[in-house]
Amino acid sequence: MPVATHCVETAAKAFGLGRDESLKLSLATEEIFSYLSSNVCRGESVDIRCVNGLSYVRVEFRFSVSALDMGALNIAASVTCDNDDDMPEMGLAIASRTIDRLNIMAERQNRVCLAIEKDKDYPSVPETPLPPAVVKGLLTAETPDTEGVKIYVTRVNQGPPDPLRPPFFQYPGKVADMVAAGDCQIVTAVDARGECAGGVLFRFRTARIVEVFGPHVFCPAREGEIADMLLTACIARIARTKAIGIVNLTGMPLSVRGQYELLGSLKYSGDDGKSFVRSWYYRLLHEDPGYLVFTDAILKEYLEGEFKRLFLAREIRDVHDQGEIKEVASIFSTEMLREGSTAVLSPLWPGADLDDNVKRHLRFLKDEAINNIFFNLDLGIYWHASLMRVLIDNNCRPALIIPFGAQADMLIFQYDRTEP
Amino acid sequence: MTEPNLDLLVPAYVREFEPYIPSKPDPELQRLYGCDRLYRLNNNENPLGPPPGAQEVIRGFHPPRGAVYPSGDSYYLRREIAVRHGIDPDQIVVGNGANEVIAFVIKAFCGPGDNIITADKTFAVYEWVAVFSGIEARVVPLKEERFDDREMLQRIDNATKVIFLCNPNNPTGTYWSRDTLKAVLDEVGGRQIVVVDEAYFEYVEADDYPDGISLIKDYPNLVVFRTFSKMYGIAGLRIGYLAGDIKVVDMIRRTCVVYSVNGLAQEAALACLRDETGHIRRTRELVREGKAFLCAEMSAMGLPVIVGEGNYLIVKLKGSDTLAYRKLMHEGIMIRPMTGFRYPNHIRVTLAKMDAMEAFVAALKKILA
Repeated sequence: MPVATHCVETAAKAFGLGRDESLKLSLATEEIFSYLSSNVCRGESVDIRCVNGLSYVRVEFRFSVSALDMGALNIAASVTCDNDDDMPEMGLAIASRTIDRLNIMAERQNRVCLAIEKDKDYPSVPETPLPPAVVKGLLTAETPDTEGVKIYVTRVNQGPPDPLRPPFFQYPGKVADMVAAGDCQIVTAVDARGECAGGVLFRFRTARIVEVFGPHVFCPAREGEIADMLLTACIARIARTKAIGIVNLTGMPLSVRGQYELLGSLKYSGDDGKSFVRSWYYRLLHEDPGYLVFTDAILKEYLEGEFKRLFLAREIRDVHDQGEIKEVASIFSTEMLREGSTAVLSPLWPGADLDDNVKRHLRFLKDEAINNIFFNLDLGIYWHASLMRVLIDNNCRPALIIPFGAQADMLIFQYDRTEP
Repeated sequence: MTEPNLDLLVPAYVREFEPYIPSKPDPELQRLYGCDRLYRLNNNENPLGPPPGAQEVIRGFHPPRGAVYPSGDSYYLRREIAVRHGIDPDQIVVGNGANEVIAFVIKAFCGPGDNIITADKTFAVYEWVAVFSGIEARVVPLKEERFDDREMLQRIDNATKVIFLCNPNNPTGTYWSRDTLKAVLDEVGGRQIVVVDEAYFEYVEADDYPDGISLIKDYPNLVVFRTFSKMYGIAGLRIGYLAGDIKVVDMIRRTCVVYSVNGLAQEAALACLRDETGHIRRTRELVREGKAFLCAEMSAMGLPVIVGEGNYLIVKLKGSDTLAYRKLMHEGIMIRPMTGFRYPNHIRVTLAKMDAMEAFVAALKKILA
């Protein structure tokens, strides 16, 4: 234990994290290491790796886990389904409180990666505003240098406020580090004198889906031209990558909305208690080869309607529980995003306790004051369909489908906080 | 059973490469999209099929010959091609489609740290093969829809081994004239291999369009690709070839796996070359008619087109090309969305028979209404 915590604390400081942040990361490491050693992989080795993400430090715990102990990987493992019981404290939950993000992923060969991240502190956008952009003549789309990145981010912040804009846009230095680390890319439109007329930021949201912010246009008189140029340049950069689709949740000018398809909307609750609706726009980058997807009968009509609306070619196959033997404990991967008060759950392993496990997670996340709870189901994995009815019974509703967002399409359920 | 550790076994440039997903077979697509017929306007196939002589070869293939290995180096076909171009048969390598000869060239000339140069909006396979072979692909933006000769020359450095030119370019139909090509070859001066992919050679009627093979004697660093998949209509048999200087081809041949070209394809290709029924003329007439019709219809619909040589043209839409693909598929029309060619909001349409052209226009009007 001392080796693990000292290693993480030292690495975190060396990677530029402040003293307090390094300590919090070290504390989270202590909790996780202790929990894994006593509950998940007793007597087995745990590989710990510290990664310098430039704008954050990431600690990865990799280990093998036997089927018997897998249930302990649920972040809500020790939470009871009974609301009257006190929730016992446990390692993963405590750890999740001191860091910014926690994620559990299944890897090859029965290996599991549990990752935690702590962000660096950055100064926010300078209070002295930049003078308005005066753009003349022909524009070109180019990849900005560090200074160009900071000017772009600063100008985005000088525009109208947007509650949907991610907080990292408030920190130009952070975005510069994100670009340097390869966590995102930016394309800006500049004139011959180098004046920035607009920009677009994009990053991989999942292995195959790219999230696009913008295009942000700083020269309203030429909005259509600039937005189109930036979106075209953005797509050109990702057209021959692993990306199969792009989503846009914020900052899209009206002039390019016709280039996207509306997937649907999710309702979010902010830290201030105010709620807002976020529309998800999507664009497929490839031909749709057609797919087989699985559903519980309860959602067949919904899926048929959505696939018809989106012109997606899908063969929808019903999945029925016919009494086959199941593992005892199911596992959900949890992505906790403290910033934004959001948790995204994805089923990793099927089990006979799906209903109880969903209830445990919902109770745990509500107790953690997580406002926005989502379940991502992969419609290409047959047993995910057995969660559909369970989720609906637990006040979750199917909100939208991201084509090719997973192995096949991803169906996002949103937990309805207005439940009785 | 222990699974292999693919993270350790597979090079990162292979792991990170996203494999191309080919279309499903037509019956599967028709079932999924709910259409009872499908016009294939996505792959620039020749709707007339192969010339009559090649059709006869295919019909007459004697089944027991399926047990016999083909000529491992396409012996008779290389001799026929050589005679027609006045070159030595050993200046030719035949491959399982032109795609295979692209891989031959990159394997022969490129090693770790090397790079190739091509355009950003062109046939993707040059770039793909380089990337999944661990070779840097430098893609130069087209200039006014054509390969930018000056910029491509600028991007050459000591690690540049091959320059790929698609002439005429798929998908824009633009081409380098004989003078432009020779000027570039003069400037390169033998320091790099220059590949000219002439997959659509037989479609070009412009006077200043160069016959790359005729330039090989003056430029031994020039390698020319041709295919039987487009004009000659035997895409399903997979056969194409490259031609180059005898010493250059001798190096390329070292990277080939012999016997990759089946015997039926070799015989059908021979028959294609010997066609005297006017197959090329008929196909060109069909393309001219389709091109004029589509240009007029697209103009009437207010949709800009990019059109040049070849049996295809590009239409610029106001919205997403991939959405248009899905909508058109539901109408029984398969086109090529151009996002993968870095042309978002554009579709490429194969010029085909008039019933297909009319069906495409009707479907496009319907989905844009």
